[in-house]
Amino acid sequence: MAKAKRVRAQRAAADAAKAGRRKPPPVGGAKKPPPTWAWVALALAIAGVLGLVLILASRFGADEAPKPQVTAGGELAFADETERLLDGVAQDGVAIGEPDAPVTLVEFADLQCPFCAQWTTEAFPAYVDEYIRTGKVRVEFRPLTFIGDDSDRGARLALAAGDQDLLWNVVELMYRNQGGENSGWVSDDFVAALGRSVPGLDVERWLADAETEAVGQTIDESGAEAQAKGINSTPSFLLGKTGGELERVEVTSLGPDGLRGPIDRLLGS
Amino acid sequence: MSDTRLRGAIAVLALVGAAIAAYLTVTRALGEAPVCSTGGCEKVQSSDYAEVLGIPVALLGLLAYLTLFATALRAGPAFAAIGAGIALASLAFALYLFVVQLVVIEALCLWCLASDAVIALIAPLAVWRMAREASAGP
Repeated sequence: MAKAKRVRAQRAAADAAKAGRRKPPPVGGAKKPPPTWAWVALALAIAGVLGLVLILASRFGADEAPKPQVTAGGELAFADETERLLDGVAQDGVAIGEPDAPVTLVEFADLQCPFCAQWTTEAFPAYVDEYIRTGKVRVEFRPLTFIGDDSDRGARLALAAGDQDLLWNVVELMYRNQGGENSGWVSDDFVAALGRSVPGLDVERWLADAETEAVGQTIDESGAEAQAKGINSTPSFLLGKTGGELERVEVTSLGPDGLRGPIDRLLGS
Repeated sequence: MSDTRLRGAIAVLALVGAAIAAYLTVTRALGEAPVCSTGGCEKVQSSDYAEVLGIPVALLGLLAYLTLFATALRAGPAFAAIGAGIALASLAFALYLFVVQLVVIEALCLWCLASDAVIALIAPLAVWRMAREASAGP
């Protein structure tokens, strides 16, 4: 009996010792923490989905036809930049630059033409600083309207601004905010924002002048002059000594160097 | 670097990024041109790429930086993983927009480049943090 008791006691002690080595059972049903790979997968899933959605949404938005940007202040984008560019530069009707500048450049352009916009944004600012502001070159604008209705309305607004010697402010802003061809971008809202973006413009007078027959006639005359010179694409240029015969000149690029060569030759530099 | 310092570095960088994004968000909302020595900020800010589904990219950036800041304040693998995911997504989008500036818009926005630099610093730190905290467990 005593031996049997001793054996049972030894077995019980051994079981207790064994149980003590075991990991204690979970308390309150706590779960095992997720493995490392689960956190990495979560991070990669967030990165992949979020990154892809952002890039695709951005591309989707950019594929739409370009539309003019109106700022919260109701002005067109680049209003400040345009004002800075043209500040203090003499304007007279369709011309910009000093009347006695030795060289005259005539630009034939359609306000819906993307290449004209490229010329305006990439080359024209350099010409203002180097040739126009310094009194070397005078530039005249000839609007063409072969692309469509937005070209015609834009040309009328530009020429009407010329009556207030602000044509180049309007032309600059229209090119810098150019919309998709014949998309109706020269809308009433656009025109209102354009009017607010040109300092010193008498908007009421400007809008009335844009509808006059005289403005329409000027547009017709520009078209006729272009035809007489064999101009059928934009931008096209005539160049020569002021007061003399102006010759057709081809641009080598739509960047700042596009007309530098022939202008410098005429200036003798 | 200790975990606390690592999270602190992410938090400070996120605040710098948030300040840049906030400036661009406010100037855009006010219709003002950002101060810009590269000359391309206004062109980039007024391009089609300055918005995603009608939401200004600058505002999205501000939200992303504030979320990164919030996740940096809390310890734990879940916050580290969320932070790393957002940082990597932001870095991918920033790289995409950088290419767009160079190739499509052909103008560089100084403030956007500064934000790109900030997210390029945050992303590896956030991944490092996630690797450490995820392997250490909650």
